[in-house]
Amino acid sequence: MKSTTVHRFILFILSVLLLGRGVVSNSEPAAPVKQFFEKHGARESGHTNNWAVLVCSSRYWFNYRHMANALGMYRTVKRLGIPDSNIILMLADDAACNPRNKFAGCVYSNTGNYLDLYGDNIEVDYRGYEVTVENFLRVLTGRMDSSVPRSKRLLTDDRSNIFVYMTGHGGNEFLKFQDNEEISAFDIADAFEQMWQKKRYNEIFFMVDTCQANTMFSKFYSPNILATGSSEIHENSYSHENDYDIGVAVIDKFTHYVLQFMEGINKTSQASMQDLFNTFDPKKLDSHPGVRSDLFRRPLENTLVTDFFGGVAQAEVVLPALEDAIVEPEALEPETKQRQSPTREVADTFVDPSLLATGWELPNASDVTASALRQHGGPDVDYTKLMVAAARTEIALKEPFTSTLRAWASSLLILALVSWTTVPRNRRPSEH
Amino acid sequence: MDFIVTFPALVAGRLVLALSPLTHYLRDDHLLSSPLTSYSRLQEGIYLFKHGIDPYSGSTFRHSPLLLSLFSTVIPLNEVTAAFLWTASDALAAWSLVRIWRARQNVSSSSRDSLIAGLYLLNPYTFLPSLGQSTSSFENALCLLSLMLACQKQASASLLALAFLIQLSLPSILLLLPLLLLLISEPTSHLASPFFFKTDIRRITPLAGQFAAYILLLSGAATLVCGNLNWVEKTWGASLTLPDLTPNPGLWWYFFTEMFDHFRPFFLIVFSVHLLIYVLPLCIKFQHDILYACYLLLGILSIFKAYPTLSDPGLFLSMLSLFPETFPYLHHPIVTALLHLHAALLLPLFHYLWLNQGTGNANFFYASTLVFGMANGAALLDSIWAGLRIAIGEVKEEHEVLQE
Repeated sequence: MKSTTVHRFILFILSVLLLGRGVVSNSEPAAPVKQFFEKHGARESGHTNNWAVLVCSSRYWFNYRHMANALGMYRTVKRLGIPDSNIILMLADDAACNPRNKFAGCVYSNTGNYLDLYGDNIEVDYRGYEVTVENFLRVLTGRMDSSVPRSKRLLTDDRSNIFVYMTGHGGNEFLKFQDNEEISAFDIADAFEQMWQKKRYNEIFFMVDTCQANTMFSKFYSPNILATGSSEIHENSYSHENDYDIGVAVIDKFTHYVLQFMEGINKTSQASMQDLFNTFDPKKLDSHPGVRSDLFRRPLENTLVTDFFGGVAQAEVVLPALEDAIVEPEALEPETKQRQSPTREVADTFVDPSLLATGWELPNASDVTASALRQHGGPDVDYTKLMVAAARTEIALKEPFTSTLRAWASSLLILALVSWTTVPRNRRPSEH
Repeated sequence: MDFIVTFPALVAGRLVLALSPLTHYLRDDHLLSSPLTSYSRLQEGIYLFKHGIDPYSGSTFRHSPLLLSLFSTVIPLNEVTAAFLWTASDALAAWSLVRIWRARQNVSSSSRDSLIAGLYLLNPYTFLPSLGQSTSSFENALCLLSLMLACQKQASASLLALAFLIQLSLPSILLLLPLLLLLISEPTSHLASPFFFKTDIRRITPLAGQFAAYILLLSGAATLVCGNLNWVEKTWGASLTLPDLTPNPGLWWYFFTEMFDHFRPFFLIVFSVHLLIYVLPLCIKFQHDILYACYLLLGILSIFKAYPTLSDPGLFLSMLSLFPETFPYLHHPIVTALLHLHAALLLPLFHYLWLNQGTGNANFFYASTLVFGMANGAALLDSIWAGLRIAIGEVKEEHEVLQE
């Protein structure tokens, strides 16, 4: 009997080991992915796509500034690379074409009327009476009727960074939606938790510009959320300037200063969220903005502004194997990783310039060598050359010399035929 | 006026216009060039070819590989050479037309030569596509050259020209049978006195064999340029499968934009076979005057071709000048002329309204192509009527000519 228990025990151990091996082998494909995302330490955000949910929860003419807030954020986020398909813009949208609008069809966020935020090609996903608490929560959680079109859905995955911006009238742990209903901080916190459970985000940046805004993010409890608000509890957030032509306030202080900071940011910017938060000046804002980063796992100095505001992600460019040309496959990381260049490993690549330079009229075609690539390095990699090189390998790469040979042969054949038929010779009987 | 004077003058005038910047505005006009004949696409194809990329791997380039080989070797294509080339092809076409006229009238020169040359060179339907540097001008020139050489009994040259024409444009294969018959008969006018075909019809067999040889050799030259047979599907196949639905003055494109995929093969076959059914009846009915059958088949092509441009009906209308004996018997020349005027004004207008201004839609342009088709159809039907009516001649009082 002892031997059978021993046997059973050995069997048990073996099965555990085998199962363990199975688990390990299942994570085999995950290892290179993990390695890609953590190439420069766990400081990387690990996101591959960016989304934005911009909500203006007020309507009516006197809340023009909330419309301008949301549209200003929309413009900034679009400028930095998030496409319309990845932006959910919820606006009452009753400012631009309001009969009281002196500048019909335009929404300005400054008194000088420099920049029309409304423009020709904005895409408002939820307008007018569709901006409700229910729709907002449905957008966040993704629980909507199957008839809702794609443009109104937040189609995020577990590698999406989402920028959620809310503006309007608010109070202690609530936000007023369209003078009709309220959303509470608990609702948003629960929605975010649902999103976390369903793996609908990688990181969320939550920005809110209302009175007593900091209370809105006080109830979050899901990981990877960074939040900021414009004022503390029992404090109001103020508007920035009145426009005497439009007749109402056109922008709020908090959003104005954030947008001003963002004007200095472009897609390749290395500015961090800490830089953004450092520009918050309670004196200028007349309120105390707050930042909540306890749920956020990365240090703010290493979190780029473009991780949330822009459509910038990690990418690795690998040249296809040009025949007889490449010694090693090349790994390049374009843009935004420049500060890490001392530690970056750019594999040595040699692309045979003659392959690309024969008859090719691109400028500097022969410069596509590793040194040039390293020089061009970070943000300036010439993708046209890479794409052209890739294209040439895919579509039959014929030496131009044989092409001209063929063309000449063919032309000579045609000319021979022509001369044979036209030069008068002994007439054949059938021609009479 | 003397032909010796007017012809060079017309050609010189055409050359001056061809060298002007006017060509840039006309180059990509949908009425003047089709996806098979556009100059921009030709340039694209030559560029790709010169850089070692197969121009037939995509679907922009649908010209014949022979053009590819000629323009990348013998005739470099730039602004100046293009102007000279297109002017030369128009001059060749007009000169061939005059020669056909002379052969038909059996004279070495006549007072009408300059009029006929002018009717081709100044016809806006042929003149504008040539300025727009559409290769349909080459097709016209080759067609007229082939007919002229057939009238002069130079069989090999004529068949080679036709083979070349078919390389450029597959629907022109309709002209094969009439051309072969023309080679063994006379081009002189016998419309008024019809007779059964006099010569032994089996004489066309060696000619047909010669033609087959030319087509094979030219196809071989084309395959030699490309290195593979992709060109067949992209050039000839385009006329049969209609892959590109760019608007043109023809009748196919709109029909196939609204066609369900299920019916596409059926209607493609119907439209292609439709072209073929006209050949035999016209050749049989006009066996006494085969040149007239060629003329009518060109009319058929201009209406029912897959990718026509304005130069196809232009050729048909210019060739009308070869048959003045039919003029008294045309039923409704005024109506035809007015329909053509109507269509010629509406086509560019509705095209502009639809695609530039955006206040019209495709139906406007489609309607104008229908009017254009009606104009061409009216011209064709009237020509057929007149060609047959001549044979009846003067009609006695109280008698009428009826069509059963």
